[in-house]
Formats: sequence, structure tokens, C-alpha cells
Amino acid sequence: MNQIDEAMLIALVDGELDEVNRRRVERAVADDPALAQRLAQHRAIRESLSGHYAPVAEEPVPDRFRVLLTESEAVVSVTRPVRRWGGWAVGGAIAASLVLGLAVGRFSGGEAGPIGMQGGTLVAQGELARALDGQLASAQDGATVRMELSFRRKGGGWCRSFDGAVAGVACRQDDGWQVQQILPGMTQGSDYRQASSADARLMATVDALIDGAPVDAAAERAAQAKGWR
Amino acid sequence: MSFERDLLALLPRLRRFAASLSRDRADGDDLCQAALERGLKSRDQWQPGTRLDSWMYRIMRNLWIDEARARQRAARTFAPEEAGEGVGYAGDRDVEAHMMLSDVDRAMQALPDEQREAIALVLVEGLSYKEAAAVLDIPMGTLTSRLVRGRGALIELMGEAA
Repeated sequence: MNQIDEAMLIALVDGELDEVNRRRVERAVADDPALAQRLAQHRAIRESLSGHYAPVAEEPVPDRFRVLLTESEAVVSVTRPVRRWGGWAVGGAIAASLVLGLAVGRFSGGEAGPIGMQGGTLVAQGELARALDGQLASAQDGATVRMELSFRRKGGGWCRSFDGAVAGVACRQDDGWQVQQILPGMTQGSDYRQASSADARLMATVDALIDGAPVDAAAERAAQAKGWR
Repeated sequence: MSFERDLLALLPRLRRFAASLSRDRADGDDLCQAALERGLKSRDQWQPGTRLDSWMYRIMRNLWIDEARARQRAARTFAPEEAGEGVGYAGDRDVEAHMMLSDVDRAMQALPDEQREAIALVLVEGLSYKEAAAVLDIPMGTLTSRLVRGRGALIELMGEAA
């Protein structure tokens, strides 16, 4: 009676048989206890395998994968090299930025430089302020100051990192941009860009401030349209 | 939907597939990470409108095969020199790893790679024969014969536990 081979049995278990063949196998199984036992074994194997690995897909996705994907998305939308968030020493960056920031503040004297002092804090002015206000990271060919990342900071509000004659991070405060960190520019006088320690220090500041991930080009444009509020 | 978001949505399944191919969960996540990195790097090669899951399964499977071959080569090349040293340590680690494995893990590991990947795609990931054959780039007949042999072996290995 039965021409039922192993392949037919497992095809039944895997739901791969058409109606006619399914009935044929089921009839054969009903008439043959040995075949029925074999079918039960195959069913049990499928169940124990899928049951064994199922919990992996139920677990929350580990952060390292999430970060990899979020990072990649940010890179594609604002075209920057891949970086890892976290792991940088923040203390040194803050100390270095204080020293440089004070120097810039003193020497620029509130004049045409990119950084000025206002009520005891460093603020962006002139060209830098205009770039922070209006320049999108996704469209800045030929600009002297390049906008790098735009992101929301912990506790709310927008921040942007930039690079040019000076590099740094500034956050929107009232009507202006409060400079969080300022370092010698990394793209100064050269089209060729190398990862530098200053770059790492900037990323440390971004990392310390950021809530989530940098926004993509569309969200950046929307934030700019609303005046970074 | 961005490419990254689509990948994120697939991640639970990709991790499960990686776990079923790999010797343990840590190796599985390493494989998963490598596959994600490769997928992101070769995103231009993915044809929008085709199945991203099949594409990622294929990437992961190819990485796994490459790694398995490299390991076999290394084992053949280095085994004689290393035979004298580090045996105790490696042995302990193997015993330990072995003890932490369930019957299912052990049985899966005992399968030849070509049977294990077929079983993983169909029984664990729930792909149809057609989809699985496409991921592995083999004819349906080859797939079904691997499924038959692999399952026969699993029944032997897992015995009544199944």
C-alpha cells in the first residue's frame, strides 16, 4: 500500500504537500503504525528545534546591534565616517575646551571671530552663528564651516557639531548658540581629512550630550525650519 | 522605511538563525554582527523590492561557511605543532562548553554543515523549501535530501529526548 517515503513524511510535517498528497500520506499513516511513529518523531524534532531557538528571537535586541544600525543611519544621512559612541574620556575634552575657549574669548574680544563671550558663557557669533542657524549638514558644498552632526541633547534642545577654522559643539540656548566645546579646526587649510585626537574629543562631547542618535537629513531640515526650538 | 530600520526589524530572526548555526550563543552573536556589518557595507547590492530577509540569511550563511572552512584549514595546519601544548586548557574549555549545551545544540553541532543550514532555515526559521533552496542556491531536490538525512541524524542523536 504505501509508497510513502521519508521525504513525503517530512514534507507533510513542513506543510509542503498539496491537498492530494497530504491526504494520501495521512491515509497511509493511519493504516501503518510504524509510519505513524516515524511521523510523530519528525513532528517532535521540528517542535523541539523551533521551540529551542524561539527564545532568541523573543529577546530584546542587544544594544551593540542597535548602535551599529543607528550609527550607520546617521552616517548615511549626514555623510560622516563610522564611529563608535562611547568609550572616550570626556574629562580631558572638557579641560582642553575650557583652555582653548578662554583663549578664543579673550583674543576675539567680541569682534569678528567665531566665538564671543556673553554673560559669562561662550557663544557662537558671526559666520559660525549663521552657519549653525541655517546651514544643513546635507547641503554645504564649499562652506567654510561645515556642520557635522545635529542631535537632541539630554534634557531637551538642539546641538550641532561643526568643523572649520575651529571645530566644536554648540547647543541652542535662547536666541543663540552656546558653545560647549571649541578646538582647533581639523579641516583647516586642507581638503584631506584625517581622524585626529581632537576629533575623538569632539565625539566624546557629542557622546556626553546626545540623547539617542544624530538626526537624519529630513529631521535636520525640519529642526532648522523651526529655528532649532 | 530606511534600510537600517528594515534590518533592525529583521534582527530577532537573524540572531535566531545565527544561534542555530553556531556552536553557542556568543559565537552566534559574533556571526550576527559580522553579517550586519557586511550587509551595511554591501547595501548597494541589495535589489529593492526583493526579500531583504533572504538576502541577509544568504550573507550570514556565506560568512558562516567561510569561517567554518577557515577553522578547518587552521586545524589541519596547526594541529601537529600545537598537539603538545595547551591541550589541557583547550580540553577543559571544550568540556565546559559541552556541559552548557543542551541536547538540541549538541545534536545540531554534530550535523554536517550542509545539513545543519538546511535544517536551520526550514525548521527553525520556518522558510518554505523554495525559499530555503534559493537562500542556499541549491536545487529543491538537493534541499529535500539534506533535510531527510539531517532529520534522520537528529532523530538518532536526540533519541527519546525529542
